[in-house]
Amino acid sequence: MSHLQLIRPEPATGATPARRRKISLDKVAVDFTTRGKTFRAVDDVTIEVPEMQFLALVGPSGCGKSTVLNMVAGLLAPSEGSVTYDGAPVEAANTRVGYMTQKDTLLPWRSVADNIGIAFELRCRKANAAERRERVAEMIDLVGLKGFERHFPAELSGGMRKRAALARMLIYEPETLLLDEPFAALDAQLRILMQQELLRLVERRQMTVILVTHDLEEAVLMADRVMVFTSGPGRIRTERDIPFERPRNAMELRFRPEFSAIHEELWSELKDEFAASVERERRAQ
Amino acid sequence: MTDSSRLWLQRAILLVAILAAWEACARLVSDRWISSPVAIAERLAQWMAGDLWYHMMITGTEIGAGLAIGIPLGVLTGMLLGRSKRMAAVFRPFIVLMNSLPIVALTPLLIMWFGLGMQPKIVLVAFVSFLLMFFNSFSGARAVDEELMDTLALMGASAKERFVKVVVPSCLTWTIAGLKNALPYALIAAVIGEMMLSRNGLGHLITRSAQQFDMTGIYTALFVLMVVGGLINEGTTQLENRLLRWRHLETRGR
Ligand SMILES: Nc1ncnc2c1ncn2[C@@H]1O[C@H](COP(=O)(O)OP(=O)(O)OP(=O)(O)O)[C@@H](O)[C@H]1O
Ligand SMILES: [Mg+2]
Repeated sequence: MSHLQLIRPEPATGATPARRRKISLDKVAVDFTTRGKTFRAVDDVTIEVPEMQFLALVGPSGCGKSTVLNMVAGLLAPSEGSVTYDGAPVEAANTRVGYMTQKDTLLPWRSVADNIGIAFELRCRKANAAERRERVAEMIDLVGLKGFERHFPAELSGGMRKRAALARMLIYEPETLLLDEPFAALDAQLRILMQQELLRLVERRQMTVILVTHDLEEAVLMADRVMVFTSGPGRIRTERDIPFERPRNAMELRFRPEFSAIHEELWSELKDEFAASVERERRAQ
Repeated sequence: MTDSSRLWLQRAILLVAILAAWEACARLVSDRWISSPVAIAERLAQWMAGDLWYHMMITGTEIGAGLAIGIPLGVLTGMLLGRSKRMAAVFRPFIVLMNSLPIVALTPLLIMWFGLGMQPKIVLVAFVSFLLMFFNSFSGARAVDEELMDTLALMGASAKERFVKVVVPSCLTWTIAGLKNALPYALIAAVIGEMMLSRNGLGHLITRSAQQFDMTGIYTALFVLMVVGGLINEGTTQLENRLLRWRHLETRGR
């Protein structure tokens, strides 16, 4: 036996070293003014995301989840409180994150392949044509859009556009992913596949992730931590660590009894908020 | 018979009917005011053997030179001003005022400034096309989807890269719409300029014929203008189809 093997570093078991704080929102509130009325969309939200954590945000529609992501991306400034990334305040578009918005923002005049490869055309991520083609082909394969390379976004279904947007973001492997309902328009089969692919990539590239989803099952399957938002103004109702190991097998996980227990526990919190949100909307009419 | 060949057949029948009725009127009543298709055809053949191409070249050069100045200038200033909130606000009233000016009314002024050669027409065409392209590009730049700009910004695109990759292509729809306006207008401007005072060009053919009470000459010149205008229109439509394929898909799909 060569003694190289003897001086291998210790496997990372036991206490994991304290991870650096990647994203932090400190007592953040957001007010919107529409039609002369000001209302609070997000109130007193404090979130800390350590490096390489996978955080999921769930809550009823309109509770401010997208608003939170917009702040982390630097597209929206909080009315109160502060947002920092890697310890520095987020003041302009945050180029360290990849953001897959709820509405797909493909460039309608570019084909699928040209949309997906656009990051490599930029000076800061320049890649030569051959390399670009290869990476684009890889990503198209990953999201199952083979045969649609030359199609325009208008020729795709909603789910296909989502997948193209996902590919466009993943292709340059940003260190942090902000995902707003990335799988909402996909059928169950494809959704599971995509979840699996995403988990693999996140694991391989050690990405930090904030995932917004309506699907509690998805949140528990994928995340290390789930936060439940109250129906507007959005506050954090509860948060819970999800103790499953990483890397995960999302296929197998959903049949474990612990999974059902956690799912049920969070669901009991969430369903009150769904009810409150329905009630609020009825009153607003 | 396919649908499209039937359509063309119907069109041909209509054309023949109109020409026959015209010819009949000319022969049975009088050709003094309306000339006649046969006379026009003869005149056209005569001109084609003579100086028609010379006059066409003159008009074509005026339009070409005017557009070469007006279009790029209009598109570029429109996009740049449209992207700057401040500039857009400052310029707005002036733009509205300029827009309400009937541009061909400037012709006498331009003739006084630039004389009788091609310059006043070139300036007129340049001015017309500049304004039309400017308005369209300006509106286009104001209508750019900000979410697309944000998306590129998050990827790390510089302001220049965002301009080139988002503003310019998304303005293209507007630019083409501007072209579809500007090209026919350029022809109008050049011809009107020539009609007012000049010794050559297609517009001059009309005034020359009118001064000689030559009805057939007027109709022949109008026919030539119609064909030139039609070709210009067809050209822009072809260009539009080529450049805006994604756009057609979009409007058809939803
Ligand atoms: N730009 C804006 N101007 C005014 N109000 C806004 C704006 N953006 C969001 N809002 C409001 O803020 C609240 C939160 O919106 P947000 O989009 O964050 O909700 P969400 O949790 O993402 O909902 P969903 O699950 O339906 O996507 C909503 O009431 C919405 O109407
Ligand atoms: Mg949302």
